[in-house]
Amino acid sequence: MPAGRRGPAAQSARRPPPLLPLLLLCVLGAPRAGSGAHTAVISPQDPTLLIGSSLQATCSVHGDPPGATAEGLYWTLNGRRLPPELSRVLNTSTLALALANLNGSRQQSGDNLVCHARDGSILAGSCLYVGLPPEKPFNISCWSKNMKDLTCRWTPGAHGETFLHTNYSLKYKLRWYGQDNTCEEYHTVGPHSCHIPKDLALFTPYEIWVEATNRLGSARSDVLTLDILDVVTTDPPPDVHVSRVGGLEDQLSVRWVSPPALKDFLFQAKYQIRYRVEDSVDWKVVDDVSNQTSCRLAGLKPGTVYFVQVRCNPFGIYGSKKAGIWSEWSHPTAASTPRSERPGPGGGACEPRGGEPSSGPVRRELKQFLGWLKKHAYCSNLSFRLYDQWRAWMQKSHKTRNQVGRRDPSPSPLPTGPAR
Amino acid sequence: MSRREGSLEAPQADSSVSLLPHLEAKIRQTHSLAHLLTKYAEQLLQEYVQLQGDPFGLPGFSPPRLPVAGLSAPAPSHAGLPVHERLRLDAAALAALPPLLDAVRRRQAELNPRAPRLLRRLEDAARQARALGAAVEALLAALGAANRGPRAEPPAAAAAATSASAASGVFPAKVLGLRVCGLYREWLSRTEGDLGQLLPGGPA
Repeated sequence: MPAGRRGPAAQSARRPPPLLPLLLLCVLGAPRAGSGAHTAVISPQDPTLLIGSSLQATCSVHGDPPGATAEGLYWTLNGRRLPPELSRVLNTSTLALALANLNGSRQQSGDNLVCHARDGSILAGSCLYVGLPPEKPFNISCWSKNMKDLTCRWTPGAHGETFLHTNYSLKYKLRWYGQDNTCEEYHTVGPHSCHIPKDLALFTPYEIWVEATNRLGSARSDVLTLDILDVVTTDPPPDVHVSRVGGLEDQLSVRWVSPPALKDFLFQAKYQIRYRVEDSVDWKVVDDVSNQTSCRLAGLKPGTVYFVQVRCNPFGIYGSKKAGIWSEWSHPTAASTPRSERPGPGGGACEPRGGEPSSGPVRRELKQFLGWLKKHAYCSNLSFRLYDQWRAWMQKSHKTRNQVGRRDPSPSPLPTGPAR
Repeated sequence: MSRREGSLEAPQADSSVSLLPHLEAKIRQTHSLAHLLTKYAEQLLQEYVQLQGDPFGLPGFSPPRLPVAGLSAPAPSHAGLPVHERLRLDAAALAALPPLLDAVRRRQAELNPRAPRLLRRLEDAARQARALGAAVEALLAALGAANRGPRAEPPAAAAAATSASAASGVFPAKVLGLRVCGLYREWLSRTEGDLGQLLPGGPA
């Protein structure tokens, strides 16, 4: 059984029909005198029903000449012909319909149940509203921008799907006195939100709730009690600048300005910084930047572009003890760390490029090895010239050892002949 | 302006020489407006049927073409009338349409409250019908073929704007709204065609 207060009886829950100008006459179902045409009336007209319930409807034909018959009439629902076994002829001019276990309405303007003559022409129609009463809205959250307004958001009960148009109304009043007020600016930050732009009191709590109403009933959320000062947020910090720290290749300095709208009140503002490498989606967050307007980021990669954002939490305004609400992040600001000048990972020159190698299996293998090194190691400028210089040095040092100590036949540290 | 079948009598010859280029420009402008609004009317009709649900959007859907008091479809004999008479009928229809479109919009605001685009189109359609009607009447006045005396509010439209209620089911209201949107498109298309006959190089 759906929760919430039930409205008028479901079977015929029909509000007084809205007014239409007189000129919109010739409503289907009104017989036209002397026209020779048959028309009909469907009963009930525009019923509202619970999902899963049944409907008994009739189509009564009348016309000129009299004696219109129900033989040959048939029903459609949303354009689809209903099986004949659902219908039966009650009398010569009335065709009945029995629908069971109704599904939720396909469109908010109502499902179109139509009675047709044998030739397919439309004799009458009625719109069915099949759905659920609203469930209790919940999860109301509110925030005030710079203590000037109040925006609230909520979650509709039953995930919002009632199959009927459901009206949500945000109400508020001062806790100990005052009348109920109704918020008027809806859908400001999503479908279930409302904005109160002005005339809000500070230092006194408000009671806020949401009422949901549709053709089948209404429901009311729990009441949220809050003080505007406990839910203050503000604009992102303006003028965020990111710069290098001298030549330090792993650091950047971030500076910003306190949000101007609350600058006279922000005695205890907290800030948060987040940054990421240019081509990454992963942000790193620096917390606990309390009440300062600058910070130094360290441990960064040299020669890398970073995007940086800052946000502010104006907690403690007028002595509020609550946590406060973070602002939006500032627009991203970018800066790059200086390139590293030391050799090693990320580049340092090894040697200038040398000449081309000569032929030979050792040198061919060495060429392949050097190619691999260039791709996978950090020393990008290895060359055959370097290798030849090393060979020359090895041969020289080998001769020297031979001259100095023939009795010390230490093997050469590296082979001098072709590799096996 | 050369004399041709269906064209309007030019004003006095000595003033027509200076007036004609201006008049021609106005005719072209009004014709272009009618052409544009005809396209919008098509879009309105499509959006309308979609939001009423099937069978409204289905091919072959043929509800009774119930008459709307105060406005009927262009008669088959319309095309055979002199062009100034046709334009007078066009202007009268365009003047009758706004209160009807407003009534449809009010009803749709209850039936389809979460369809802001449809509601906006209906609101725009009423405004555009007024604008085009006024432009056609201005042309008729410039051509010396306007109605004499103050323009009276079409009686049915006035009744529509001020009358008391009449109960109406939802389905009939949907059908009636479809009829009004259809009439709007028909009369715009008719106006576009009639103005086209005034253009230089129009059909002889």
